[in-house]
Amino acid sequence: METVGDSVPNGTAPPRTTLDIVKERFKEDEVILSIFDAYQIIGHEYTNRLLALVSSASGGTFAIIAFSYLRTPPLTTVNELIINKVFAIDSSFQIRQDSMGSINTQQFDLSTAEDGPFKYYYFPTESSNYEDFHAKITSCQRSMAQYDPEAVLNFRWLNDYRQIGEVKQELKKRESEYIVYEDIHIFCATWNVNNKPCGDGENPLRSWLGHTAQPPDIYAIGLQELYAPAKAMAYEMVKTTQMGGIEKTWIDKIMASLHPDAKYEVLGTQRLVATMLTVIVRQQIRPQITRCRLKTVARGVFNALGNKGGVGISLQLNEGNLCFINSHLAAHMANVEERNADYNAIVQGMTFDDGRTISDHDHIFWVGDLNYRIQEPPGQQRPGPMSDAQTYELLLQYDQLRQEMQRGKCFEGYTEGDIKFRPTYKYDPGTDTYDSSEKQRAPAYCDRVLWKGTRIEQLAYNSIMEIRQSDHKPVYAVFRVKIKTRDAVKYKRVQEEVLKAVDKRENDNQPQINVEKTVIDFGSVRFNEPVTQNFTVFNNCPLPVDFSFKEKDIHAICEPWLHVDPRHDSLLIDSARSIRLKMHVSVRTIAGLLRKIRQSDNFDILILHVENGRDIFITVTGDYQPSCFGLSMETMCRTDRPLGEYTQEQIKQLINDDSPEYRVTMPREFFLLIDFLYKQGPKQEGAFPSYDSRQSLGSQFNLLRDWLDSWSDEPFPVNAETAAQALLLLLDLPEQALLEPFVEDLLTCSNKSRAMDYISLLSPPKRNVFMHLCMFLRAGIESQYYDLQQVASIFGRILLRSGECTAWMDYHSRCVQFMRLFIDNDMESLGNGNDGAGSGDRTAGLQA
Amino acid sequence: MARGFDHLFKLLIIGDSGVGKSSLLIRFSDDTFSGSYITTIGVDFKIRTVDIDGLRVKLQIWDTAGQERFRTITSTYYRGTHGVIVVYDVTNGESFANVRRWLEEIQNNCDVVNKVLVGNKNDDPDRKVVIFEDAQRFAKQMDIELYETSAKDNINVDNMFLSITRQVLHHKLRTSPNEQQKDIVNLNTTNNHRRKCCR
Repeated sequence: METVGDSVPNGTAPPRTTLDIVKERFKEDEVILSIFDAYQIIGHEYTNRLLALVSSASGGTFAIIAFSYLRTPPLTTVNELIINKVFAIDSSFQIRQDSMGSINTQQFDLSTAEDGPFKYYYFPTESSNYEDFHAKITSCQRSMAQYDPEAVLNFRWLNDYRQIGEVKQELKKRESEYIVYEDIHIFCATWNVNNKPCGDGENPLRSWLGHTAQPPDIYAIGLQELYAPAKAMAYEMVKTTQMGGIEKTWIDKIMASLHPDAKYEVLGTQRLVATMLTVIVRQQIRPQITRCRLKTVARGVFNALGNKGGVGISLQLNEGNLCFINSHLAAHMANVEERNADYNAIVQGMTFDDGRTISDHDHIFWVGDLNYRIQEPPGQQRPGPMSDAQTYELLLQYDQLRQEMQRGKCFEGYTEGDIKFRPTYKYDPGTDTYDSSEKQRAPAYCDRVLWKGTRIEQLAYNSIMEIRQSDHKPVYAVFRVKIKTRDAVKYKRVQEEVLKAVDKRENDNQPQINVEKTVIDFGSVRFNEPVTQNFTVFNNCPLPVDFSFKEKDIHAICEPWLHVDPRHDSLLIDSARSIRLKMHVSVRTIAGLLRKIRQSDNFDILILHVENGRDIFITVTGDYQPSCFGLSMETMCRTDRPLGEYTQEQIKQLINDDSPEYRVTMPREFFLLIDFLYKQGPKQEGAFPSYDSRQSLGSQFNLLRDWLDSWSDEPFPVNAETAAQALLLLLDLPEQALLEPFVEDLLTCSNKSRAMDYISLLSPPKRNVFMHLCMFLRAGIESQYYDLQQVASIFGRILLRSGECTAWMDYHSRCVQFMRLFIDNDMESLGNGNDGAGSGDRTAGLQA
Repeated sequence: MARGFDHLFKLLIIGDSGVGKSSLLIRFSDDTFSGSYITTIGVDFKIRTVDIDGLRVKLQIWDTAGQERFRTITSTYYRGTHGVIVVYDVTNGESFANVRRWLEEIQNNCDVVNKVLVGNKNDDPDRKVVIFEDAQRFAKQMDIELYETSAKDNINVDNMFLSITRQVLHHKLRTSPNEQQKDIVNLNTTNNHRRKCCR
């Protein structure tokens, strides 16, 4: 952990610490409280992270900024730091050390409401003292908790560290390309009106406010001791309406006295009891003012009464921030310290509600009855009333304001123009005569205009003697200020360029991966023969990338006959990953695949999703080698050659063919299976042991598949058990149950003749298969090769397979019941139900 | 400005394969054009931030695969889209004929969406087969704005993207007029919460 503090300077340039470099990444009013070396594990790699705990003076809040490194640490320049994550330390922020079940205890999680938790690891070293780091974070959290829980925390400063700050920073960097300076004339004025009414009738104020050669662009006029009839000072005692009325009278008067050559409007007026500041702008510049805030700071008795204090108006004109202050500071010759204290209190308290303080402005103008007097030279007569301009300089040597400014006690950094006018206080009202009352107040320059900031030039500074109603004379100063302004055309161009550049960076930094191929061709794919294809994805973009296969419908990333491994992973820069794609046309998936083949020319399309990036479609194709398994009886009856000789496209046509033309009365494959089993005689005993026997296909199965699909002349290749299994599959795998569309009707038939009515409505292939099958089973039962109940149960559930009816309580027993109608020899003989099932010689073979 | 942008919109480019969807996007986002044709196999996006009447609008523009076999899968990307750009190739009558199908796709997959019709490759009069008047008549009938562009010669591309963006923006401002006020209010409420930092 590097503590925050300045390194001791020595003769040569001190080596820059990591902290020094990180500091450059932050603004002046942001303090790095702590930095911490951590790492994250991405994929199987350690990735360095630098965490900085930062406090912002302007936001008054804290945050942790996590950086990644462009190069392996140690850091050499600030440009090697890339902001990785930003955690605002708000009420939702959490740091947790939970190493349960983990070998590595040196880890912690950071999370906020928006983000996380993210896990960070560390090696306990000098620069990674977790206890210290954690303690500092906790202390930040604690200091936040002391504030009003309702308070809205200001984290706006963090925007500069989230991606969006880039545009702003870039625009700031290129400011010189679009900033021009525009001359603005500002007229600042101050007058202590001595509780006198503003009067009416003619316009005596024009000599003060409206006399400049050129109409000012902005007036900032400060008045003190506005007429308050009851001399009521405390807020409560002054009726708002009353003072509001007086305020309005004065503003009306002022508006009527402004330079006649321009049109003006009041931008804002702020009053603290009897101290008022009003900012008036030329109408033509009003649209360029984008912000205006008002604020008062009360002083006087208990610092609350407000008979003394300051009012401020902050505004933004184009790109320039201006601040105007009018203050009435503590009175009387001896109260210099109080005046300084008032000044400092106003500076401290004058924070506008956008967080801006006085010093956050480019151009500051401070007017008011500052009340600093002309100090009596020790042991000398106080300076008498003077009018000789040559003596102003002498008087100003004893001016308390100038003395205090020199001593650095107040108005630090402020400038005042040369005073070439008589002290503005104290006159006998209505005259130009200094105080002739008993008090014989010494004349003083109470009323002043000061400024601070750049590109300000004072053009005039004077008082107006002929305005005599108050015991103070009004003072004014005229300034020419060069205001920072955006050249609209240039700015638009630069902004466009910056936006484009930032966008381009974002586009270029989009995570990208490449895939070896977007079409995965399995080649020949056969029923019950899993095949595998591998393809490579690699990351050649400059960032680590996370990828995953996206779920397409509710749960699945791919069709059930496919299996993808891995489904997601992370790829470091320049690394690759092989993806294994397995295809298995199984008992479970054949019906779906055949359906897919009917509608589409591919087996599936996978979506390879790159986190925060593009999606890549991966088309999975191949040539499904048709087999009898899964095909409907009708389709099989339309074949004119072995199924193994059909292409995928041909079988697709065959499946989609719905003409009632059949080449054979029942599928040859089915007939051959029955024929074989029948001829096995006693050897077929127990060949149908259970319904689920078809689930695990023995190694012999594919031999039989090939034998059937090639119309082979070879001897039957497998034993009775495998043949029985194949028979069940041949009947069960088609999408539609053999007895559809009459399953529901048949399940509710109680007698055979009703059932026969339905059976006779089945398509000829189905009907023939059913009748032939029943004959075969009856024969087997008769010979006691099979158990009637067992066979009825197995075949019933296959032939009467149904989505809806399975839910019936007695579904199973109804299946058995139905089958028994046809295969139980004790029941009534079948009659002439066999309308042309099989060719003559084939049935003959069966009966042999 | 509290965020780097005032609005974030998602735009989608659809249309037959080979009409120049990716070229339009790359012309708009990178101001480049590559004559070599690379089929988009998937869904790609680029961002571009533009200034519309003083508002900064960040566009996330999705470029989709136009091939027929991807149609079902690309339709899942319509969700959350603010504006759709339907592109045909003025030198390919079939691509124009298919516009109707693409418009149906929009109707089937989006609720209210702003759209614009774009006849791209409008840079060689000799090869042009979809004449402007026909396209314009169709566009009027469909109540959709038409732009003829060339990503190759950079004709009308920015205009077209800005037009759809403006359309989306106006639509949004019309439907949520209070949206604009939010930032201002927020600025005013986060006042004076200055804290001393802990050390």
